[in-house]
Amino acid sequence: MSVTSWLTSKVKNWQIRREMGYPYEESRPEKQIAYVFDINKCIACQTCTVACKTTWTSGKGQEIMFWNNVETKPYGGYPIKWDLNILKSLDGQSWDKEGKYNGKTVFEAAPPGERVLGWLPEEEDYSYPNIGEDECAGIVEKGAFFSGIHKAWMFYLARICNHCTYPACLAACPRKAIYKRKEDGIVLIDQSRCRGYRECVRACPYKRTFFNLVTRISEKCIGCYPLIEKGEQPRCVQTCIGKIRLQGFLSKPDSPQKDNPLDFLVYVKKVALPLYPQFGLEPNVYYIPPIHVPKEFLYQMFGPGVDKAIETYKGAKDDKELLGAFLLFGSTDKIIRSFKVEGDYALGFNDKGEMIAKVPFKEPVYIRPYFDKKVGTYRHNIP
Amino acid sequence: MIKRLSLLLLLVGLFLINPHCANVEQNQNIIKSVKVKEVPFKDVRSSIWKKAPVTRINVIPQNMTLPSLQTPTIQYINVRSLHNDNWIAFLLEWEDKTRDAVVDVNKFTDQVAVQLPLDPKSLPAFMMGNKGGRVHIIHWKAIWQDDIEKGYRDVQTLHPNYWVDLYFFSEPMIYAEGEFPLQPTTVDYFITPEALNYIPGAYARNPISIFHRTQPVEEAIAEGFGTFTTQPKQNAIGWGRWEKGVWKVIIAKQIVSDDPNDAPVPEKTYIAFAAWNGSDKNVGARKHYAPWVELVVER
Repeated sequence: MSVTSWLTSKVKNWQIRREMGYPYEESRPEKQIAYVFDINKCIACQTCTVACKTTWTSGKGQEIMFWNNVETKPYGGYPIKWDLNILKSLDGQSWDKEGKYNGKTVFEAAPPGERVLGWLPEEEDYSYPNIGEDECAGIVEKGAFFSGIHKAWMFYLARICNHCTYPACLAACPRKAIYKRKEDGIVLIDQSRCRGYRECVRACPYKRTFFNLVTRISEKCIGCYPLIEKGEQPRCVQTCIGKIRLQGFLSKPDSPQKDNPLDFLVYVKKVALPLYPQFGLEPNVYYIPPIHVPKEFLYQMFGPGVDKAIETYKGAKDDKELLGAFLLFGSTDKIIRSFKVEGDYALGFNDKGEMIAKVPFKEPVYIRPYFDKKVGTYRHNIP
Repeated sequence: MIKRLSLLLLLVGLFLINPHCANVEQNQNIIKSVKVKEVPFKDVRSSIWKKAPVTRINVIPQNMTLPSLQTPTIQYINVRSLHNDNWIAFLLEWEDKTRDAVVDVNKFTDQVAVQLPLDPKSLPAFMMGNKGGRVHIIHWKAIWQDDIEKGYRDVQTLHPNYWVDLYFFSEPMIYAEGEFPLQPTTVDYFITPEALNYIPGAYARNPISIFHRTQPVEEAIAEGFGTFTTQPKQNAIGWGRWEKGVWKVIIAKQIVSDDPNDAPVPEKTYIAFAAWNGSDKNVGARKHYAPWVELVVER
């Protein structure tokens, strides 16, 4: 069976602005779990990583498993070279001026005998999750002093499962043990059906499915679905001390709702971009690109929308609605389904229309007297 | 002249040392199961096996569905069969230079499987059956053999220096007060539902995640690609040995079984084979196979 005949369906991928081959028909969920990560705010404290690890992957056989990790670009990667390996084998990733992808996706580029273009990491590739941490892309010259933006750059890339619209793991599984939930688009591996063939580990270009050495089957990020079902954001989002993350639900690409913060940031303002859209999976973690990184690097990583996204991001100070959406990041554990700006506040609402977040554009400032007469002591003002 | 003589001696030598060259029945289309008083279920070296003729079954790389096997590394399986009216057993021998009985992200185990039709008169597709045409599969894995003989093949089997600060809910506690933490090197430390919560395959009772196997084989039923389903009742047996680059594996099943998922064994039925080479990363559909071969059970 050739790969061409395997890709029986033509599906619409809005991120590459064209149809592409996929083994199953287009079947978008009622609402799609999605995230926006503001890379500019991430400090790689790894609180998200630890929150995920202690919640889900502290068991025997999960020693090398991080469903959430934060790596330093350009040199870091978990597993090692996850991105370089697939980029190297996926030739000719060009985009036209209208933003249409001209190259092949990992489905269309599958070699003979394979369902998806992929590669299988070694155990050792998972053994250095912090490799390249804090390493810059270049060295600062001797005698240099700070005079604006450094030429040497690096940034932190927080990564989880993208809960793709067209998952490669799902396409590659010969047993159909992987499924995408109709109610929220979360992609799961059926722990009673998987037989540990590792076709998903091989196929996922983001390397977000993992093999458990003890159970001998594969596992992946479950989008904290028990929390999602309660109307709460996942652990990695709730615990993010930098408030770089917002989880919500994305509407279908042809019907964006402007008051849905995810739709607003992704579809309307186009300030948050998918990671490696050229792979063709329509990933649903959207990144606000780092503003100080060479554009060539960002074009490759986030596609042709980078310039506009950065321009919009830099203009947020003059765009109250956009700023309001940003203020809602980390403002509540609940899932924000709609938002609005009212006066000097950004307001977030749940699916019942109840207000669950109210964030002022300017935090009030209180100045306490230097000497507290009541208790007879001196006070230092702290932020 | 000396060169020719050397070549001749080499060929004769190869013939003598290769156990597969002797007594091989040329007819690949029939396997005869010979009746004996006692079937040596766990002894691959038993002289009783020599009572059965050898049938060489050529295997080819799986090329019918994706993913497929591009490069074959196993050429044939030599098959012998014995029965004692209650049990029928197959001795499967094939060359494999490496004994692969480990599991890791990028490491795979050697395996072999036999398949019989539930209805020999209406033969289903030889590759895992078809819708409405069920097959009975008995699957042996080298790692399961080691699980039974040496204990569950764990993380520390492959990576002895793996050290973890804390596993939740291990029993007994790995942190006794004032003592150096004990490293749980076996899965037997994780028995409570809370501990198994962190071993999700076992919690979900996945048949792959069984820590205390009693047999190195698994019985399944299938009716097409991707439908391999473990039988609720496991009553087949098996045993394997790897010696000098050759796997010798015995797979046996009851001739008459009350399990409705088991294939019947009349005087004439059919059998198919599959084999996986772990070192070549064979797994799942990346396998070698042989289509239906006639199986005659001599009464």
